[in-house]
Amino acid sequence: MDEILTIAEASRLIAERKLSPVELTQACLDRVTQFDDALHAFILQTPDRAMADARAAEARVMAGKALGPLDGIPIGHKDIYNTAGIRTTGHSKVLEHNVPTRDGTVVRKWAKAGTVLMGKLSTHEFAMGGPSFDVPWPPARNPWNPDHFTSGSSSGTGAAVAAGMVLGGTGSDTGGSIRGPAALCGITGIKPTYGLVSRAGVLPLSFSMDHAGPMAWTVEDCALLLQAMAGYDAEDPASVDRPVADFTTGIGNSVKGMRIGVVRHFFETDNAASPATLQGINHALDVFEHLGAEVSDVTLSPLAEYHACGSVILSSEAYAVHEPWLKTRFNDYGELFRDRIALGGFIRATDYMQALRRRRTLCLEVKSAMADLDLLVSASQPAEAPRITEVPKWGTMEKPSLTMPFNLTGYPAMTVPTGFGAGGLPVGMQLIAKPFQEPLLFQAAHAFEKSISIRKRRPMPALAEAA
Amino acid sequence: MKTTVSESDFEVMVAQTGLPLSAEQKRTLYEAYGMMEAMITRVNTPMPVELEPAHMFDVEVR
Repeated sequence: MDEILTIAEASRLIAERKLSPVELTQACLDRVTQFDDALHAFILQTPDRAMADARAAEARVMAGKALGPLDGIPIGHKDIYNTAGIRTTGHSKVLEHNVPTRDGTVVRKWAKAGTVLMGKLSTHEFAMGGPSFDVPWPPARNPWNPDHFTSGSSSGTGAAVAAGMVLGGTGSDTGGSIRGPAALCGITGIKPTYGLVSRAGVLPLSFSMDHAGPMAWTVEDCALLLQAMAGYDAEDPASVDRPVADFTTGIGNSVKGMRIGVVRHFFETDNAASPATLQGINHALDVFEHLGAEVSDVTLSPLAEYHACGSVILSSEAYAVHEPWLKTRFNDYGELFRDRIALGGFIRATDYMQALRRRRTLCLEVKSAMADLDLLVSASQPAEAPRITEVPKWGTMEKPSLTMPFNLTGYPAMTVPTGFGAGGLPVGMQLIAKPFQEPLLFQAAHAFEKSISIRKRRPMPALAEAA
Repeated sequence: MKTTVSESDFEVMVAQTGLPLSAEQKRTLYEAYGMMEAMITRVNTPMPVELEPAHMFDVEVR
């Protein structure tokens, strides 16, 4: 099987008994064998488990007892998601031999939906540190050019999905860790509304900023994956008890009349984007207008305000999580993680509280700005991926993050590819909706996605050369 | 971005954390601290005293 199918395509073929989950899984395993030595997307491959899952899915399909659209679909979990009996390391020496006894809530939900577990995927150390070369496993590399960065921290998921080694996977997003690698690896990824997806059984970084979410090749695939993740869970104190929407309901519907605000100063001046990134966003806005949406500019506080507020909160909370190990096992962490996280130890309680108060004013600002809007548009990353050896150690502090504002506010935000930069690597845009308006986000993202032809292009020529 | 904190004051800050830092690690963090300090300054812009934080204690804790 040469063609890499999307989840939606594979699901339809499996339901029609035109595709065997075993055959689909074998094709993914073959791509892992062919490409992962160059990409390092996996920390741990689970081929026996994958084939067992695939055979069980096939038996259900043949018995007319398929579990739904994810039955028989090969996936991977970021290695901060607990998997019972399967090592979960956080890509860190600190948890090098950690084997959980329970699945995390999302892992359990996806297994119940019939997914095929291909393995555990690379991450930046504890979802923050990378790209690190001094931890027990190498960092994931970009399938479009393995000399380049994936972004992070859901680096392995970004690489594995783009290379077709899995059809979807889990990510987590505390300051942009789903949307960043989605942008640089040329896939889609959504950070859902805070509280929509349980984080129980996911190694924490920052309690009030952490979000769990899916990454996949297409918008529709993300919607299908999110459907099987979302929902109230008493084990996550931030989980919101409300009915889960149908995330695919708007897919294929028009965006006519949709009101879209563009936060131009975020990506034109505050963290100026590359010409290709700007061109991609402007093209998307043209498409939305052509399809009948109303597009207008929106001004918020400078990006640096959101970034500072988010960084003070994130650093304080992450330091609190890791302090016991930092005091006893400081040098078991990679240099990037331990140095970045150690700065959190210098933040006073009063500074943290001031940041929480400032957070409220910024949340109110975004709420007010969106009162007469359905969506916002910004960039996800300022440019295409740099070389992996040229990622600055303090890059996340030197320039304000384009994704951080929506961790701070908790609003749902999604990366959608828009094209390729001068170096041939992907660029993307970020769409943002109001809380729990994910269906609208998918509707608009899909409308744009189907208007462009780039989604047929995969990174295989570059990968074949690297392999 | 250079910090306004002196090296000796930074030594005190490090001691308060209890982290087992080498001299080189302290120097690395001292050189980077200015960026964190700038962000801390930014979140400390004056706010009205009645402004409540984003996260309030919830008596019906789950």
